[in-house]
Amino acid sequence: MRKIYLIFCIVFQLSCFSQNKELLYNFTSIPQSSLVNPGADVSYKYYFGFPVLSGVSANVGSNSFSAYDLFADNGVDFNQKVRDVINRSSSNDKVVTNQQLEIFSGGFRVGGRESRSYVSFGLYQEFDFFMYVPKDPALLALNGNRDYIGKSFNLGDISAKAEVLSVFHVGYHKKVSDKFVFGGRAKIYSSGANATSTKNSGYIYTGQNAGTPNLYNQIISSNLELKTSGISKFTKDEYEGNVVRDIAHNTFFNGSLGLGLDAGITYYIKENLQLTASIVDLGFISQTKDIETRTYKGTYQYNGVNPDFMGTDNPENVFDEFKEAIPEETLYNKYTTWRPTKFYSSIQYSFGEARPDDECNCRGQVEKYYKNAVGAQLFAMTTPREPLVALTAFYRRNIFRKLDVKATYTFDTFSNKNIGLGLAGTIGSVNLYALVNNILEYKDLSKARSAAFQIGINFVFQDRED
Amino acid sequence: MKSNSSRKISSIILLAFLFFSCSSDLDFDQVKDLKLEPVFVANLAYFDIPANQLIDDGGTHIAFDTRSFDVFKDSFFTNRLKKAEFNFEIENNIDRTFIVNLLLMNDDNQILQTISYTVPAYQGTTNVIKYPTEVFENERLNLLKQTTKIGFVVIIAAGPPLNNESLGNLKLRSSATAYLVIE
Repeated sequence: MRKIYLIFCIVFQLSCFSQNKELLYNFTSIPQSSLVNPGADVSYKYYFGFPVLSGVSANVGSNSFSAYDLFADNGVDFNQKVRDVINRSSSNDKVVTNQQLEIFSGGFRVGGRESRSYVSFGLYQEFDFFMYVPKDPALLALNGNRDYIGKSFNLGDISAKAEVLSVFHVGYHKKVSDKFVFGGRAKIYSSGANATSTKNSGYIYTGQNAGTPNLYNQIISSNLELKTSGISKFTKDEYEGNVVRDIAHNTFFNGSLGLGLDAGITYYIKENLQLTASIVDLGFISQTKDIETRTYKGTYQYNGVNPDFMGTDNPENVFDEFKEAIPEETLYNKYTTWRPTKFYSSIQYSFGEARPDDECNCRGQVEKYYKNAVGAQLFAMTTPREPLVALTAFYRRNIFRKLDVKATYTFDTFSNKNIGLGLAGTIGSVNLYALVNNILEYKDLSKARSAAFQIGINFVFQDRED
Repeated sequence: MKSNSSRKISSIILLAFLFFSCSSDLDFDQVKDLKLEPVFVANLAYFDIPANQLIDDGGTHIAFDTRSFDVFKDSFFTNRLKKAEFNFEIENNIDRTFIVNLLLMNDDNQILQTISYTVPAYQGTTNVIKYPTEVFENERLNLLKQTTKIGFVVIIAAGPPLNNESLGNLKLRSSATAYLVIE
C-alpha cells in the first residue's frame, strides 16, 4: 500500500512541473531535443526510439503548496491543512501538470552522405492540466459567507483546463551551412477528452447597506461556462464502460482533430557562440466529438420573503426564481481550443576545445569539439491569464566522448532555486538519457512544489567513422 | 578501453536512476476526512408597514399574509443543514403595541411552529428591538425542514386610532444563519 502511495506521490509530484523542458532544450545529444526545437543542431544517419520508452516525461508544479502540505501524516486535521493551503494561496497561484509518453519516434537523413537534411516523425500521448487556485469559491465553500460581509467572492477565480491528446508529427530540419540550422514540424492533434472552463466571471456578494429594507444586500451575478468534449457520455447514468479505456481509444482513434506547427533555428554567431530560438505547439484543436457546453449565466438578488398585508398577492418562490434568473443551459456547439504555445530561446558559449582522440580514435578526419558550454535560456508559455516565464542558466560538460551532463538553474513562478541535472550517454548505438529537475527537493520529494523528470532510450546510428 | 568507458557510462546513468528520492510519510486516506462546515447568512423576511395603511378605530385587529418558503426543496441543502438560526429585528414608530407572529407551516397549512414577538408602542424615542436568536436544532430543526410556507400575523393591540394622516412604520428585518456540514 505504501508503495502505491509513493508512486502516486511521485506521479503527483512529477505532474507538478511547468511544461518547461529546460534540460532537454538544446541538449543535442538526445534526438528528442528536436521536439522542443525543430531547428536544433541534431545529426544522425537514422535513429528510432525504443517503443514506448523513448520519451517518458512528467512534470508537476504548484507554486503555493506541496503534497506534504496536504497529505503529511503528522496528526494535523486534514481540514485544517486544506484551510491553511487555501488561506496561503492566491487566486493567481497555479497548479500545472504535464505528462508525455512517446509511443514511437524516428528520424533519418535524406539525401546523400554529404546531405545535412533530416526528417523525423513520431507519435506521442500527452496529458495537460492547468488550473488557477479557485481561492474565492474555495473560501466560500470552506467558511460560508457569514464572516465575509461586504466581500465580493470572485467567480472569475475559477479557471481550469485539462486535455488528453495524441500528437502525430513530422519534422524536417536542415543544416544550411556551418552557421545556420532551421527546422519545422507539422503536428496533427487528436484530442480524446477536453474540459475547458477559463472564461468565467461574476461574483457572490453579501453586504449590509444602510437605507435598504432588508438586513443584507445579497447578489449572485454568474457568468460561468464549462465546455467539454469527449466527456459528456461518461456522466450519463446509462454509461457502463471503462472510462480509461474509452478515453484512450478516443485519444488515438476517434478524437477531435487539430493542427499545429513548431519552428526553430540554431545560429552560430561565432564558432563557439550559438543562438537558438523555437516556438512549439502553435496550434489549435477543433473540438467536435461528444461536445457539451454548460452555462450558468444571470443575476439574482435574494431578498427573502416579503409579506404583503394589503392583499395583492403575487406568490414568489425563491427556488424557482433563482433557477429562472440563473438557468443551467446545455449547448452543443463546437468550440476551438488553443494549445499552450511554448517559446524557447538560448544563447550558449562553448570553450575547452578538444579532439576525440581520448577514445583511441586514431583514424584521422576528426572534428574538434568543445568540452564545455555555458549559457542562458528563456522559456515562456501561454496560459489563460499572463504567460508563464522562466529563466535558466546552464552548464553543459562533455565527460567522455559519449557522455554529456547538463546542469541547470531555473527561476520561475514555482521556485527560485530549481537545480536540474541531465545525463545523456551513448553506448554503441544505444542512446540513454535521464533528466531530473528540482534535485534539491529530492531529499524529500513530498515537500517539493514542483518536480519534473524525463527518461528515454533511443537507437541512434551515425555514419561509420571509417 | 572502449568497453571500459561504456561500463562507466552505463553505471553513471544507473546511479542517476538510483539517486532517486526519499519522501516523507504521506497519508492520502485523509481525503476521506474532508468535512466542510460553511456558515451562510441570508435574508429571511422583511416588511415595512406604514401606519396609514393600518387605519382602524383604535380596537384590536389583525393583518395577515402567507408566503411560500421553498428553500428546503433543495435536498442537497436540506440534507446537510445541521443547525439554523433566525434573527429578528423590529422597529416600531407607531403609537400602538403590536404582536408579530410567524407561523411555520407545511403544505397542508398545518402550523409546525410559531415564533411570537411583542413590540411595545412608540414612545417618541428610538424603538428598535433585536430579539434573541431562535435556534433550530434536532427536533426543532426537523420541523423547520418541513416548512414550505411562512404565515405572518400582525396583531395590532388597542390604542389611539390610526388614520390617513398617521405617521410611523412597523418594520421587520430578519436573517437566517445556516450551518452546513458537507462530508
